[in-house]
Amino acid sequence: MYGWNGRILRVNLTTGETSVEEVDPRMARDFIGGRGWAIRYLYDEMDPQVDPLSPENKLVFATGPLTATPVPTGNRYMVVTKSPLTGALSCSNSGGFFPTEMKRTGFDLFIFEGRAERPVYLWVNDDRVEIRPADHVWGRTVFETEDMLRAETDPRARVACIGPAGERLAPIAAILNEKHRAAARSGVGAVMGSKNLKAVVVRGTRRVPLAHPKELKALADQVVEEVKQAVAAGKATLRTYGTAYVPPVTNEVGILPTYNFRTGVFAGAEAISGRTLNQKYLIRPKACYGCPIACGRVTRVEDPVFGGEGEGPEYETIGSLGSACGVDNLAAITKANYICNELGLDTISAGVTIACAMEMYELGLIPESDIGRPLRFGDGEAVVEMVRLAGLREGFGDLIAQGSYRLASHYGHPEYSMSAKKQEFPAYDPRGAKGMGLLYATSNIGASHMAGDTAYMEVFGVPKKVDPLSWEDKPRLVKYFEDIFTIIDAAGLCVFLSIRYLFEPTYNVEPVRISRLMEYATGAGYDEETLLKAGERVYNLERMFLVRAGFSRADDTLPPRMLHEPMPEGPAKGHVVELDRMLPEYYRLRGWDENGVPTPEKRAELGLP
Amino acid sequence: MKIRIKLLAHYQQYLPPDCSSSSYETEVPPDARVEDVLAGLPVPLEESVVLVNGRTPQPGQVLREGDVLCLFPAIGGG
Ligand code: SF4
Repeated sequence: MYGWNGRILRVNLTTGETSVEEVDPRMARDFIGGRGWAIRYLYDEMDPQVDPLSPENKLVFATGPLTATPVPTGNRYMVVTKSPLTGALSCSNSGGFFPTEMKRTGFDLFIFEGRAERPVYLWVNDDRVEIRPADHVWGRTVFETEDMLRAETDPRARVACIGPAGERLAPIAAILNEKHRAAARSGVGAVMGSKNLKAVVVRGTRRVPLAHPKELKALADQVVEEVKQAVAAGKATLRTYGTAYVPPVTNEVGILPTYNFRTGVFAGAEAISGRTLNQKYLIRPKACYGCPIACGRVTRVEDPVFGGEGEGPEYETIGSLGSACGVDNLAAITKANYICNELGLDTISAGVTIACAMEMYELGLIPESDIGRPLRFGDGEAVVEMVRLAGLREGFGDLIAQGSYRLASHYGHPEYSMSAKKQEFPAYDPRGAKGMGLLYATSNIGASHMAGDTAYMEVFGVPKKVDPLSWEDKPRLVKYFEDIFTIIDAAGLCVFLSIRYLFEPTYNVEPVRISRLMEYATGAGYDEETLLKAGERVYNLERMFLVRAGFSRADDTLPPRMLHEPMPEGPAKGHVVELDRMLPEYYRLRGWDENGVPTPEKRAELGLP
Repeated sequence: MKIRIKLLAHYQQYLPPDCSSSSYETEVPPDARVEDVLAGLPVPLEESVVLVNGRTPQPGQVLREGDVLCLFPAIGGG
């Protein structure tokens, strides 16, 4: 095979056995790779009703056909499993260097099954596979674990691991690689913890075989050149500010989550922007493997209370640990970000859960004695302390670590949880970007921007601006974005580059270049149409996993605040999400019945069971 | 009449040198249209998102005293 290695590594943690399997070329093509292959294996092999933290759940690390190729930003992997946060699917994405190294071991996927008796880690050095004891790193932070495991394997090895949060099965625990890059969402870290799998360490030296290397290189070089020209022309927003440039933008359109999504307008938007970050804390930008953009931030905070050094924050972290909590102190946000990375927590879910607790505390719904301190909006020190407690599941942090839905339900008011399918919202108030509302409600992984970020068009004007406040055109837009994000994930690329450079050049969101790159890499017969169809196929199979897990239309919903409480101020003033008007049309366009289930006709069209 | 011009992301390089925030006040003729004001700005319009008070302006929209005209590059991400 080309593009793909065509081999997966299966690791049975219960028996300690590992095995290598060949991949069926037809399955490979029809499900693209990465996220697509992962759901194919999970759907075929696993009962979607199992307890996510039981040995019966399977955990898949999945690279795509463009991972570790010369295609810029071909540096992603996906962690796919049944989520302990949502009970639905997890598809968490991370970049950095681990995924490229993993693909170079000669495997496309690692599938973990069962549960180890004692803590272990997996060490894959090209073909040599070892399950090693990890008692000595159990209880250690992400940073310590990475350093210790590289020291005892290979200094050039790459590490993906969990921190104390994952070990203690926090439903909002993340998996970190290179210390600061996170497959963050849906509690994938807790699944790893439940399997007593502390880390996965890889060292790979194999080159990915390519079907048409010259053509691939030429198109890849052209894309890199375009990015470089944009940078040279002073248009390097992501390199200059990181995604931290966004808070003033979303604030301007009135959708920057503020005070647990009570409003979308935050007086402190400038104070938590990329401009402030550059003036005060930025050391240098940082790129993932093979990326000409470099949106990553290496930062240092010199401050008696919030001092530290690390990476971040990026926009989603600022919106959740910052404005959603009413915090305009960028030092506090950055410190909370460092702690999330160190202890292995999802910054989005942590921030939005703390925001939920703050609102309920201020309303008198959570007694101060339970928290052990006041927890008011705007208190950066409280956010930092709550994040630390959540990462260790100590005191009130034990509730924070379970996410906002469980926390709010514990006090009898789930309506204060700003989540969909129990997963916290990313940093766009959907009342002012209706596509995001439909996306959060219907997404197979719960509320997520990575499931099909229509804010690209609704807010950022990429590839062209559409009215964020209209709902009529959004079902079509959401379906399309979900399908193309599926393709990007499955291929192993980063969304930031792909949307802008691989789906045009004519500024249509058509998969022109990405389908050519896929064909040059694999030679499997991809064109625009087959690739879009494959994206749709994967998305539908993921949906069928949810259906079998017991999800239905009733779960495709949003908190009452989004449906019934009009936005109080700003450009989106007076707006709610017209979900009941969008949902039937969305199901119709998807070929799903009125309960959100793919119809037999749709399944037949896509070649699904 | 006076309006505010707000420039975000890397368009901040086009702010007046003495401007410490992201926006500045400027004097425009009464009944100035959005297009007229944009034409006088040193910003590459074809790659920009333009907002008036946070909303997309209608073609030919006339500005009013106190309006905020905001521009940022079409980039996305986050
Ligand atoms: S754009 Fe940012 S997240 Fe994406 S590959 Fe580049 S540095 Fe990594």
